[in-house]
Amino acid sequence: MEAPRQENGADEQKNVLVRAGRVRIPTIFYAVGTLLVLVLLFALGNRNFLSFYNLNTIAYYAAILLVVGLGQMCTILIGAIDLSIGGLMSFVSVLFIVAVKAIGYWAFPLCILTGVLFGYVNGNILTRIRIPSFIATLGTGGIMTSFALLVSPLPVVAPADRYGILSIVNGSFLGIGNLLVLTALVFLFFYVVLRFTVLGKSIFYVGSNITMSWMSGIDIVKTRNFAYILSGVGASIAAIFLSCGQFGGDPTLGKVYILGSIAAVVVGGTALTGGTGGPVNTVIGGFVLSVMENGMNVVGVNAYFQQSILGAVIIISVFLTFDRSKVSMIK
Amino acid sequence: MMSTTIAESRPILDLRKVSKSYPGVVALDNVDFTVHPNEMVGLVGENGAGKSTLMKILIGLVQPDSGTFMLRGQAAALKDPSDGARFGIGMVFQDGSLVPNLSIMENLFLCHEIGFRKFGFLSRRDMRTTAEGLLEHVKVHVSVETPIAAVTPAVRQMVEIARLLWLSRLYGQTNPILILDEPTTVLTEGERDTLFAILRDIKKEASIILISHRLQEIVENSDRIVIMKDGKNVSEIGAASAVITEIEQAMVGHAFSADRYREDEQGVPGDEVILKVDNLYKKGAFEPISFTIRKGEIVSLVGLVGSGKEEICRCLNGLERADRGAVILGGKKLVAGSPRDAVASGEGHIPIDRRSEGLALGMTVAENVNLLVLGRLKNVGLVSPARERKNAERWIDECRIKTPSSSTLCANLSGGNQQKTVIAKWLSSQVKLLVLDHPTRGVDVGAKDDIYKLIRNLAREGIGMLIMCDTLEEDIGLSNRMQVMKDGRLVKEVECPPKGKPSPRDIIGLIV
Repeated sequence: MEAPRQENGADEQKNVLVRAGRVRIPTIFYAVGTLLVLVLLFALGNRNFLSFYNLNTIAYYAAILLVVGLGQMCTILIGAIDLSIGGLMSFVSVLFIVAVKAIGYWAFPLCILTGVLFGYVNGNILTRIRIPSFIATLGTGGIMTSFALLVSPLPVVAPADRYGILSIVNGSFLGIGNLLVLTALVFLFFYVVLRFTVLGKSIFYVGSNITMSWMSGIDIVKTRNFAYILSGVGASIAAIFLSCGQFGGDPTLGKVYILGSIAAVVVGGTALTGGTGGPVNTVIGGFVLSVMENGMNVVGVNAYFQQSILGAVIIISVFLTFDRSKVSMIK
Repeated sequence: MMSTTIAESRPILDLRKVSKSYPGVVALDNVDFTVHPNEMVGLVGENGAGKSTLMKILIGLVQPDSGTFMLRGQAAALKDPSDGARFGIGMVFQDGSLVPNLSIMENLFLCHEIGFRKFGFLSRRDMRTTAEGLLEHVKVHVSVETPIAAVTPAVRQMVEIARLLWLSRLYGQTNPILILDEPTTVLTEGERDTLFAILRDIKKEASIILISHRLQEIVENSDRIVIMKDGKNVSEIGAASAVITEIEQAMVGHAFSADRYREDEQGVPGDEVILKVDNLYKKGAFEPISFTIRKGEIVSLVGLVGSGKEEICRCLNGLERADRGAVILGGKKLVAGSPRDAVASGEGHIPIDRRSEGLALGMTVAENVNLLVLGRLKNVGLVSPARERKNAERWIDECRIKTPSSSTLCANLSGGNQQKTVIAKWLSSQVKLLVLDHPTRGVDVGAKDDIYKLIRNLAREGIGMLIMCDTLEEDIGLSNRMQVMKDGRLVKEVECPPKGKPSPRDIIGLIV
């Protein structure tokens, strides 16, 4: 705790002005600025970066990251984290293809319901058994990874006669891929829930000050469970999108999205300490990462170098967007 | 007598024309500040007057933009608080800067243990002997092995003072300068007296800067009073000739209402009983207790810390579970240990620590004000941003919260305005009963009056209130009726009609 900051408003007010000048309004602008700078750099590096084909590629990659990132964001907003999305995505990925073979269109609601139930279990381990989310979700994620391998140790391929079902995601309408439309709908869903519903808004209160929320009568158990349900929904939808795009399920596909989703959320300016940030931030964060991944390939950055540049960009973005003055201790 | 000798001696600390500005705000504007050896200087000013910036400069936490800083006759440039320790100047912070899970002894010597090294290891025996001597000096009789978390705030404070004295001795400085920032807010009446007795004793070997909102104790204890306003030191008076109302006037710049607690606005409570506490009992905290609060009535719960009054309040709000008995609010028995049920039944709670229990500091004023009523601000099933803004603006207006806009972060408001935000939150949810736990703690004079006014308005609107105040005068001034507690029992009920308030002296006899 920072001791001398209690009541004597003078410094506090001054700090705030410093803060206001540097962070309050521009948080999102910094993220947008980073994105624009990256786009400009890559466009200068290779004109084809801005070609319709390449933008489409970026959008497809970003779509998946966004959907899983929006879910992850909900757990980060309450000051927790969800490391189990990797396991869940792997499991849903194979489950979806198996289910499409067996029950056709019903695979969609089945998989989303799986995400809801799994999120609810995660939430309860945190809220009722009171195990820190970092450990709890590390554990449940491991369990789900095993389940995925038990369902199918090898990637499963969707039979060609079921491609029609997959075209809900893979198809396009008037030149716009369905995947992009569906992603926009997912975003809209998260936006409306977090901004315009009581339960969604409670996520911000609980993340900002859980003691105050409890004392003010907010149901902190329900709110946190809800955040995990949203995370489960995001991850399962992302897994469905991936399986459709690959015409098959892969029991190991989720792993990369654990840290990817956290990076997308944090790069967008949502603080790991909870309470601040939101869906728009996450969209921008997701695009920053996707543009990086794609752009470095397009301009021909040495593959061995890419990870280190990506790491540097994550640190720089968080430096610009995350309001460190509000957090007394950085851990 | 004393004051002439002080004036003649060379100042130990001498600040001339010190200025400090932050982007957009001038925190200190050509401030002069001196401290003489063996002197207790009282420093007063409203929140935001620049007191804490000045103190941060003194201990090296903040560097001034301009001005001279003479310490013990030589120019000093403190880069950080450890420099401060080397120059024999240090601060006892409002909320403590000790490590709770370490023992008193370990805290005393933290980061400076090197002197106790023997053959490369720290000698615990030497440390213990020294620590015991230090505690003896500040008259604390607790084992030096006790963890800080297990001792009272009064003992913690003494440990901090002992540490500062020891540090200055370690660095070979005589007459250290101790800065005490609101030292008495966490103390009971008795502990306050002990603190000042010890400080008077310490004054023989040190200088003390005392910051406090309680002007009474400033006037009683300091040799000289420095009054700050808007980043300038506006006046300096010898304590012998100080009058509280004059100090208040210098602090706020306008005369403070003579009727301090707006007693002329005190109304007559209605007949309808809002809250009925029926044989409420919690083992180890309080014996079976019964009382009622009527519509528009302000009942104050007084007693020493540890008399059980805090626990009663926590049980009323559902923050703790009573063992037996019932809390009946508006005819409905509350579920024990459920703040949700208490809130849903129309009970509000202004907590003692608004920063950690009353507000989401990182969220906007509007979001804080609307927290309880979001469900009512819906339009076609969704919370309507327009209605949110309208509701927030209405209550910002009604509670006179000074904020640039409804979308300002709560962290950016002053203590008084934060407190008004907490009150606004409960008012907008139309509470029947409000429990106010030290509602004016850490709030400056001007904002205090606003809060008194609000409390009177609430009573007029028929809200019942249970109140616990910082001072007995405030309790007596505000309430219709007092419930006096001692050792977990209600010992007496005292009526407090507007004309015919009991004197604090009558009440204090019942408490101790």
